[in-house]
Amino acid sequence: MTATGREATHAGRRGLLPLLGLLVVILAGLSLAFGEVAMGPARLWAGLTGADEMASIVLWQIRLPRVIVALLVGAALSTGGLVMQAYFRNSLASPDLLGVSSGAAAGAVVAISAGWTVVALWVLPLAAAAGAAVATLGVLALARRGASGERLLLAGVALNALLGAVTSYVLSTGVVLYERNAQLLFWLLGGLEDRTWLHVWAALPIVAALALVWPLGRRMDLLSLGEREASSLGVEVRGLRRRMLVLATVLAATATAVAGIVGFVGLVVPHGLRLVAGPEHRRLTPLCILGGAAFVLACDLAGRVAGGLRLGIVTALIGGPFFLWLLRRRT
Amino acid sequence: MNGQPLANALSIRRASVPGRLRPVSLDVAPGRLVGLVGPNGSGKSTLLSVAAGLLPTAGEVRWAGRPLADIAVPERARQLAWVPQEARWEFGFTVRAVVQQGRYAHGDDEAGVDAALERFDLGALARRPVTELSGGERQRVLLARALATAAPIQLWDEPLAPLDPRHGLQVLGLARELTRAGGTVILSLHDLGVARGLDEVLVLADGELKAAGAPAEVLTPARLLEVFGVRASTGPGLILELP
Repeated sequence: MTATGREATHAGRRGLLPLLGLLVVILAGLSLAFGEVAMGPARLWAGLTGADEMASIVLWQIRLPRVIVALLVGAALSTGGLVMQAYFRNSLASPDLLGVSSGAAAGAVVAISAGWTVVALWVLPLAAAAGAAVATLGVLALARRGASGERLLLAGVALNALLGAVTSYVLSTGVVLYERNAQLLFWLLGGLEDRTWLHVWAALPIVAALALVWPLGRRMDLLSLGEREASSLGVEVRGLRRRMLVLATVLAATATAVAGIVGFVGLVVPHGLRLVAGPEHRRLTPLCILGGAAFVLACDLAGRVAGGLRLGIVTALIGGPFFLWLLRRRT
Repeated sequence: MNGQPLANALSIRRASVPGRLRPVSLDVAPGRLVGLVGPNGSGKSTLLSVAAGLLPTAGEVRWAGRPLADIAVPERARQLAWVPQEARWEFGFTVRAVVQQGRYAHGDDEAGVDAALERFDLGALARRPVTELSGGERQRVLLARALATAAPIQLWDEPLAPLDPRHGLQVLGLARELTRAGGTVILSLHDLGVARGLDEVLVLADGELKAAGAPAEVLTPARLLEVFGVRASTGPGLILELP
């Protein structure tokens, strides 16, 4: 790229955040308006304010929770990807490729099949978090920090296979349990159907974790260029790494607990934004929050317009080719 | 100073790293320009990392008389700058952003950043992503960042290896300038001819410190044959200097 082209991108960066914010608002509006009962702006307003009772029920009980869960899941997965990429110093790292999402899903599946989820609402997210934590530890053991992209991805392949086997085993132990298996399949395909306010509450840890990522941004910049280098420049690397790992796990696990495995968001969004806005984490974090929210909202909307394609399928249809393009570009 | 001798800039007592460095002790006085030589795999990088406090080690490391354990990480960054042998950079931070990271422990200010860039002819590259640079250019970015830290102790791991002759001479000139101002520079290198012109030389082989002292005493033909397996002779070679 030429110097002038680069400076032009610099100038274009400033408008990006409000632009993404606007995009999120528009997509959220469209998401609320679109459905079996299509609504124009007037009816949408009447529904939200309660003036139109029928629209009000549809919006408040069905569409609003779905939109909020979509926002939180998108923000969590893309920001979780951003943190993992800085942690592993590898732009191909993301919760799903490294098996963290599979771990969360395996945890959820085990909890559901064991009947623990009947006990309390918080059991499911907790089981997902435990599964994600196990997967994270697995990745750490298999691929050391700063490992080559290939090594890291191979570790992810191995973990995904292993955790997939756990899930498949649970599924195969009760093929006649159709209802339970339908519930299990939900985690594996990822989706936002029938999300309620309970899921919104369950997703709230995402908000806390997102708020804690930004203050780490400057240190993540230094860490992403090398662990010893960051340490020699004055960063307390050990504490930083621990916090990043906890935040990335909480983000990926909570998102997976409320929406199942939604792939490629953590890869596509941070990567795309980095190309446009540069690698600085304090700038990327808010962009990833809005960009991830917009991406998941758009994919969910596209899937509904296409006649009920599940979210996880749409993100994979977009993310898969993007990932292949990235691999090609790297070599 | 109460008539007491000045504390050593760097003092190492029986520091070791299993399998890579046998117990080593050494002292470097402030204002010295020290060369660290040894065959590949002799432990030069390990010793520099230990001295920089970046590798856990048995024994003790002191900077300016203070045990490393007593110096908090941010203060360490203001005391000592370490330049790795090579940087593997995944993310495209600009040259200027990477050099500015040298100021992280100084409240993330901008002091001396532009001067450091100019010093290494990086002004024109300031806005380029570091991922697009050549090996020599990357090395200059690392050195500029170390310079920006304004740390009195500078440890450079093979800074000359990827550099062209002119930039190599500039680096040596800078090292000389820093030591004259009271700083301490230790750099590892393979060019024994250059090493001969430094204040002191440390010779490592098989993770063991074989000799330390003035170049003329340390780099004897017998030792060069023993450590490097080369026969040394002096004669009219090619002499390079900055115009």
